[in-house]
Amino acid sequence: MREEIPPGTLDMLILKTLARSANDLHGFEIAEAIAAFSGRVFLVEEGSLYPALQRMLVQGWIVGDWGRTTDNRRARYYRVTPAGRRHLDRAVKSYGRVTRAIAGILELSPMEA
Amino acid sequence: MLGRLWRRLRLLLSRDRATRDLEEEMRLHRELRAESLHRQGHAVDEARSEASRRFGHAIRIAEDSRAAWGWGMADAFWQDVRYAARRLRQRPGFTGAVIGILALGTGATTAMFSAVDAAFLRPLPFAEPDHLMTLRRVNIPSELRMEPEVRRPRSFDVDHVREMRDVFSHVAAYASGGLNLVDPQRPRRVKAGVVSGDFFTTLGVPATTGRTIAGADGVPGAPKVVVLSWGLWQTDFGGGNVVGTTIPLNTSRYEVIGVMPRGFSFPDESDLWIPMSIPVTDATFEPFRGYLPSTVIARTAPGITREIAETRLRGAWERVVSTLPRERGQRLSVDETLDVIRAQGASTPLRAELVGNRRTALLVLFATTALLLLIACANVTNLLISYGASRSRELAVRTVLGATRVRLVRQLLAESVMLAACGAVAGIVVAPFVLRVLRTLMPAQLAGVAPVQLDLRVLAFATLLAVITGILFGLWPAFGATRGSALATIKAGGGHGASAGGARRSQHLLVGAELALAGVMLVGAGLMLRSFERLVATDAGLVAEHVATLEMSFLRGIRQAQRLERLDRMLAELRRLPGVIAAGAVNDLPLRGGGGIGISVKVDGAPPAANREFPRYLVASDGYFEAMGIALKRGRYFLPSDGTGSASSVAIVSQSMADVFWPGKDPLGRTFLFGGDGPPVQVIGVVADVRESGLEEDPGPQMYFPARTNLDANVALVVRGTDRPGDLLPALTRAVRSVDAAQPVYNVRMMDDVIGKSMAARRANTVLIGLFGLLALLIAALGVYAVTANAVAQRSREFGIRVALGATRSDIAWHVGSEMAVVVTVGVVGGAALAWAASRVMAGLVYGVTVHDVGTFATAPVVLALAAVAATAVPARRAMRVQPVEVMRDE
Repeated sequence: MREEIPPGTLDMLILKTLARSANDLHGFEIAEAIAAFSGRVFLVEEGSLYPALQRMLVQGWIVGDWGRTTDNRRARYYRVTPAGRRHLDRAVKSYGRVTRAIAGILELSPMEA
Repeated sequence: MLGRLWRRLRLLLSRDRATRDLEEEMRLHRELRAESLHRQGHAVDEARSEASRRFGHAIRIAEDSRAAWGWGMADAFWQDVRYAARRLRQRPGFTGAVIGILALGTGATTAMFSAVDAAFLRPLPFAEPDHLMTLRRVNIPSELRMEPEVRRPRSFDVDHVREMRDVFSHVAAYASGGLNLVDPQRPRRVKAGVVSGDFFTTLGVPATTGRTIAGADGVPGAPKVVVLSWGLWQTDFGGGNVVGTTIPLNTSRYEVIGVMPRGFSFPDESDLWIPMSIPVTDATFEPFRGYLPSTVIARTAPGITREIAETRLRGAWERVVSTLPRERGQRLSVDETLDVIRAQGASTPLRAELVGNRRTALLVLFATTALLLLIACANVTNLLISYGASRSRELAVRTVLGATRVRLVRQLLAESVMLAACGAVAGIVVAPFVLRVLRTLMPAQLAGVAPVQLDLRVLAFATLLAVITGILFGLWPAFGATRGSALATIKAGGGHGASAGGARRSQHLLVGAELALAGVMLVGAGLMLRSFERLVATDAGLVAEHVATLEMSFLRGIRQAQRLERLDRMLAELRRLPGVIAAGAVNDLPLRGGGGIGISVKVDGAPPAANREFPRYLVASDGYFEAMGIALKRGRYFLPSDGTGSASSVAIVSQSMADVFWPGKDPLGRTFLFGGDGPPVQVIGVVADVRESGLEEDPGPQMYFPARTNLDANVALVVRGTDRPGDLLPALTRAVRSVDAAQPVYNVRMMDDVIGKSMAARRANTVLIGLFGLLALLIAALGVYAVTANAVAQRSREFGIRVALGATRSDIAWHVGSEMAVVVTVGVVGGAALAWAASRVMAGLVYGVTVHDVGTFATAPVVLALAAVAATAVPARRAMRVQPVEVMRDE
C-alpha cells in the first residue's frame, strides 16, 4: 500500500538516507533507497525530489559532485554536510516530538506508534 | 546566512551550467527508471513513457527546481523584459515613434538639467562656498593719476571691510583681464586673474604645487610673481617643474610661485593669476582696458549668517559715508552709491552673483523642457492606450488562460519602462547637441567655476527620468487595459471597438492637456521670436555692414605723443587702401561687452546736483563717426585739428546727453564742466545715440572727446569699406604691423560679428525656446492624429454600418471631426489662458514687447488649431472611405 510522504518530511528523509549511506548517492539511488527502506510505502515522486535537492544545495545541507556510475554514466552524487547533519538532528528530534504528541492524542502507546 | 547568499549568487552567475546540470541529472533519472521498469518486465517504449509520466512534467519540475535557487522574481523579470523586447520589435513603427519622442523630451531635459546643475545645484569648487559673498561698490584705493593729498578715503573702502573682523573672516578683491604671454613660438593673449593677497585663502583653495599669492606679494613694488592654472601649466609648460622659473608677460618677467589644482580657473576661466597691489598702481591696470573691473569678495566668519553680514555691512556703509568729506563733484557719486546700496543691498551670495541675469533665462528654459517632456509623456501614454486598446483581446485571452492581473500589468510596465529606457539612451545622444546651443547661454562668469558637462550626476538624472517617465506613462494604460471583464471583451469582439469608450475618454483628456501645454510653449516661443525680431530691428546707432575692427593695447612705455603719432600713421595707411571709405579709432568699441566709465558733468551755469546722470566717457579720433556710421544730428564731426593747440576743449555729445542736459535748447556752442568742476568743454556736435553696452540696453548720455586730448593705451581701430571691401581684416593687421611690427593686436573681426556676439545669448535662448515650441507643436499634432486614427480604426465597423444604412461620407467626416473639435477647442483655449497667466515669468526675457503681446496671443492659438485640424483631417478622410462591404467581410 503506497502513501504520500507527509508534508515537510521529505528533506529529513533525504538527509537521513544520505547520512546512513556509506557512499555518496545520486538522485535515482536516493529515490530507490527511500522506497526500499520504507518497504515501498513511500515512492518519492521525482517531481518533488529534484526541487528538494536544489533547495538543500542552496541551504548548504548537502553538496553534489559529478562522478561516474558503475556503468560509466555521468551522475551527480550527493553527500550531507555538517550543517546538513545538524539540521537532520533538529528535524528528527522535532519529528519525534510531533509523532509522540500525535500518538498521545490517538491514545496509543508510544511503542505501538 | 552569508554562505547561502553566496551559493545563490554563484548559481545565478552560472545559471546556464546549473540548468544543464539539472537537466542531465533528471535525464539520467528517467533513463534509470525506464531501465528498472524494463527489468521488471515492461516493454521498452512503454517503460520509457511510464517513466516520463511518473516523472511528471519535466519542464515544470525543472522550473520548480530552479525556483529553489531563489531567483524567481528575477526570472520573471527577465521573462517580462524578453517578452517586452519581442513585442516592441514586432511593431517597429510604434516603437520608433515612441523612442523618438522620448529621446527629444529626455535629451532636452537632460541637457537642461546639466545647465541648471552647473548654475544652481553643484557646489562651487571652493571651501564652504555658501559662506562666500560679493560686496557691492566697495572701493579699492588707488594711487593712480592722483595727487598725494587726494589719497584719503573717498568712499567705502576694502579696508573698511577688513576692519569688520567679527563679521568677515576673509576679504579679497579680484578682477579679470588679459595679458600677452610673450612666447617666441606661440605669442598669445592669456586670461589673467588679478587678485589681492587674500584671494586664495578667502576661497579656501591651496596650490597643488608651490604656493599661492600672499599678502606681501600685493605690496606696491614687490617682486612680480604669477600663479599658473593647471591647464596653462599642462599646455604651455608641459606640466614640468616650473616653480622658481620666470615667464614673460607683456613687457615684464614674472616668477612662477605655484600651480593651482586642476579645475580651478576662477574668475572667468583664468589662465594665470598675478597679485593686485593695494593701493592699485599702474602695474595693476596692465591687464585691463583703462579701468579696473574689480569685485570684492568676503567670507563670513563662523556663526555669521548672510542676513547678519548684510545688516552689519549696511550699517558700516552709512557710518563711513556720513564721515566722508563732501567735496564738490564728489557728493553726487557718493550719494548715488549709497542709494544703490540702500536699494539693492550691500552684498550678494557668490553663486547668485556669478549666475547673474541668466537666472530667469535658465529657469524658464528648464521649465520649457520640463513641459516638453510632459507633452512627450502624455503623447506616449496616448500611444500606449491605443496600443493597449488594440491588444485588449489578447490580454483578455491571456487572463482567461490564467495570467494574473499583476503579471499582465507588470508585463505592460516592462514594455513602457523599456521604451523609456531606450528613449533615455537615445536622449543622451541628443543631449550634447542641445548642450552645444546652451553653452552660449550660460553665464560667462560660471565657465571657470562650474562648467556645463554631461557627468555621472547628469546620467543618473537621465536614468531616473527614464524610470519615472516609464512608470508615469505606463501605469495608466496598463491598469486601463487590464481592467474590466475579460469575458465581456471577448464576447464584444474585443479589439474592434465596443469596449474602448473609457480608453477614448482618457485619450481625449490627454490630447486636450497636450494641446494646452503646447499652446503655452508656442506662446513662449512667439514672445521670444517677437523679441528677437524687435532686437534685430533695433537701431544700434551705427551701421555695421562692411566695418572691420581690431583692438590693441599700446605697450607700456610708449608715451601719449608717440601713441598719437603711431595712430595717425596707421589711420593714414588704412585710408590709402582702395576699398576703404573711412578709418578712425575709439577707446571703447560699442557692444564689445565689458563696461565703460561714466563721468559726472555739470552744465556751465546750471545749479549742481540737478541730475545724477554720468555720461559715458568716450575718446574718438577724426574719422571714427564716419567709419562707424554714427549719424550726425547737428554741428560737425571731429577734425584732425580738434584737441590741438590752445583752443578750449571741445566735445561731441549724443542725442540723449543733449536731451538730458540741455532740454529744449540747442547745445551747440554751449559748455559743460568735466568732472563737475573741471575746465569748460564746448559742444561742437550732436550725434545719434549708440548702444554701447548692449543692444537691449537703452543708451544713456554719451560724450566724445578728441583723441588728441587724451589717447588711452587701449584703442580699437575701425575701418569702413566699400560695397566690395575685399579682405579688410588682414589689411587692418598689416597697417598696424607696418607702423610697429611688435605691436600685438587682438579681436580682429567684422563689426557684424561684434554685434552677433553681443546677441549670442539671446539668440541661443530664442533658438531653444523656439525649437522646443515647434517640437511641442509637432508632438501635440501627432497626438491628435494618433487619437483620431485610433478612433477611426476602432469604429470602422460602426462607420461601415452607418454608410450601409445611408449615411453620407460627409456625415461620417463630420462625426469624426466634431468629436475632435471639442477636444481641440478646449485644449487651445485652455492653453491660451494658461499662457496668459504664466507669461509673467517671461518678464525679464522679452524685449520690445509686453508679456501679453497681442500679436503672439492672437497667432499662437491659431497656429495650434490649424495644426490640430490638419492632424484630424487625414484620419477623417480615411473614415470617409470606409467600404461597408469590406467591414462586413472582415467579421
